[in-house]
Amino acid sequence: MRSNTVGWLMLAPTIAILGVFGIIPFLYVLYVAFHQWNPFGASPDMIYNGANNFRRLVFDAEFLTSIAFTMKFAFFAVLSEIALGYLLAQLFMKEFPGRGFFRTIHTLPLIVAPIVVGSVWRLMTTPSIGIIPYLLRNWFGYDLNIGRDATTAFTLTVIMDIWHWTPLVTLTLLAALLALPKEPFEQAQIDGANRRQIFWHVTLPMIRPAILATVFIRLMDALRTVDEVWMLTSGGPGAATRYVGLHIWKIVFPKTDYGYGAAISVIVLYLTLVMCWLLYVALVARRQRKRTF
Amino acid sequence: MIRKSGIGIAALAIGVLTSVIPAKADFWSDAGAKYKGVVLHGVTESTPPSNYIKDVLAPEFEKKTGIKVQIETTSWDQMYDKAIKDMEAKTGIYDMVYIEQDIIYAYLARNFLIDISKALKDDPSLKAPEFDETHFTTFANYFKNAEGNLFGIPMEAFIKVYLYRTDLFNDPKIQEAFKKETGKALAPAKTHEEYTQIAEFFTKYGKDNGLELWGTTAQAHTGHPASWYEFFESIAPTFGVYNWGIDASNNYAASVKNGGQMNSDKAKAAIKYWLHLRDIAPPESAASTWTEVGTTFAAGRVAQGLVYGENAAWIASDAEKSKVVGNVGVALPPTEADVLKEVEGGKGYLGYYDGGAFGLPITSKNKEAALLFLQFIGQDSVQPDWAIAAPRITNTSTYDDPKVLDMDKKLNGYYTMLKDQGKLFAGAPPFPFHAQVREATAPIFYKILLGEVGPDEGLDQMAEAAETELKNLGYRK
Repeated sequence: MRSNTVGWLMLAPTIAILGVFGIIPFLYVLYVAFHQWNPFGASPDMIYNGANNFRRLVFDAEFLTSIAFTMKFAFFAVLSEIALGYLLAQLFMKEFPGRGFFRTIHTLPLIVAPIVVGSVWRLMTTPSIGIIPYLLRNWFGYDLNIGRDATTAFTLTVIMDIWHWTPLVTLTLLAALLALPKEPFEQAQIDGANRRQIFWHVTLPMIRPAILATVFIRLMDALRTVDEVWMLTSGGPGAATRYVGLHIWKIVFPKTDYGYGAAISVIVLYLTLVMCWLLYVALVARRQRKRTF
Repeated sequence: MIRKSGIGIAALAIGVLTSVIPAKADFWSDAGAKYKGVVLHGVTESTPPSNYIKDVLAPEFEKKTGIKVQIETTSWDQMYDKAIKDMEAKTGIYDMVYIEQDIIYAYLARNFLIDISKALKDDPSLKAPEFDETHFTTFANYFKNAEGNLFGIPMEAFIKVYLYRTDLFNDPKIQEAFKKETGKALAPAKTHEEYTQIAEFFTKYGKDNGLELWGTTAQAHTGHPASWYEFFESIAPTFGVYNWGIDASNNYAASVKNGGQMNSDKAKAAIKYWLHLRDIAPPESAASTWTEVGTTFAAGRVAQGLVYGENAAWIASDAEKSKVVGNVGVALPPTEADVLKEVEGGKGYLGYYDGGAFGLPITSKNKEAALLFLQFIGQDSVQPDWAIAAPRITNTSTYDDPKVLDMDKKLNGYYTMLKDQGKLFAGAPPFPFHAQVREATAPIFYKILLGEVGPDEGLDQMAEAAETELKNLGYRK
């Protein structure tokens, strides 16, 4: 009994912080989501409007488009980061001159603030001054202009995200690979397994939890990306890179449509949870169930 | 002995007197004494005029009064985000906030700001002798309410002008080539037709001669509100479409069928004119916002363009940043034939008179000290150096200062134009729903820029979207 009290006392600060900074704001957002509230409208009061905001977003083409673009962005960015991150982690496992130096250099993008990343990439891709359009024109005769071409703009946001976040994946997977025991690999080699078989049947299953954790983190980040993309394309051209985070920002801030913005935020949070859960079921739970049978 | 004690008594008397009679150094030290130790916090957009406040005026004020001033200069959207959240939540973090003309009407509608005129009338001990509201240019009118009371101290004011390269326009070879091609003498354009001809000529000239030179700039970002503003603030008015084509007196009508102008023939002609210019402008135009048009001009990549006045000064005078120093001409924007007459007659405006002011939020915890600082930056005496460092003029006397007159020569008469023809320009329309209507219509506008929807059809859709949004906001009945 006494230990329970001490335990609760020890937990109290954490619970209080979680309540103040997590639960209460979320409940407030949920409350606002059921209201029509534009403080800069002719009537600035909060008016209860039931589920109207949620009903509205089902027919909101801009919102649906932003969701579709975000999914596409998250898919390409996260998949590429995992693949590239794994390859780099394998590379950094090997001994080569300057390995420490390259490991350090490789992690530098991680410490750059997203807003700076966006600014730098914008500088590098602006037609008149950017190094990337300059090189593409001189080497391949290709005129890069993200203000005019939706596909290019989308691709660049993906590449920028890969550049920024692949080091995180590399570091996580490198730690996972370094922690693996040597015996299963030696065993597999003795049994005559080739490199592909070792990868699929030994390495991958053993680092699966690390991959999954990284995918979750990156997926959640990719779904709420705002600042980098805002700096690079401002959501353009048109709505080609108006990802859902940016869409919410535009609804809440310049449009000051707080009620609707809150409803979208709640739905996006829900979608993120569902996606993570589906991923978990597909990659972990089903496999665990198979094992128990 | 008596003499000695007499001297002692006199010294004592002087000592007592000096300690009880307050020092009368100047108004600032006396008025500031009560608030010594107070730290004022201000938030503003990082612009040359704001940086001057932060780097020069705030330290000067602190030296004179003992009141510390911390100015946070940040991005345009961050600045609004922080200021609005602070005033909305009544946290009282900021004692001064930057107010742009297009937000003042929304702030006034929400009673966010202190009435500066009234506050100084209510407490005359705070009124600085050197501060006088009547010394401001007419630009201050944008920060007044219906009773004429001031809610912001003007700090940034400039017009969007037509800049052209004098070295190119005065080159005899180019003049001859232009004459041969168009049959006309090369001179700054007065009409849209002339402007288009010149733009087409220089774009072709650049291409033919292997030069990185185009005929015009265009602030035509395909996903940023800057392009929306370029059209409604700088292009549409020159075709006679004012206040974004929304008629506030007619139930906020935007569409022609309801009495608005947003999708009028004039607006449709304006957008087609501008889209053509965008297509012959440098490639970066599709990603250009407020400052990039200035940067493009300064890099010598265009022969002419509409550029914000705050950039005109450094383009014309700062050799470290600009390749066209000494070669920048200033003129009024080109218009349709009858628009200039209409504007001179008091109906409408030629373009955007941009700028902002420093306001005092009602939630400030240091209102008196902040009032002192606001008066400090509004005095005539601090204006000339400020106008040189950052090209803005808010007080009428600044125009006559010798340093400013000298700078005016370098700018080919930009300040003179501001003084004499500033009246032909106008600030943002007095709408409290700027951002909301812009955001409701901007996605369609971007589609027009990308060719996903035709200009006529797009403007029809925009007018409809504007009216729907105004209805949602409760303005349109």
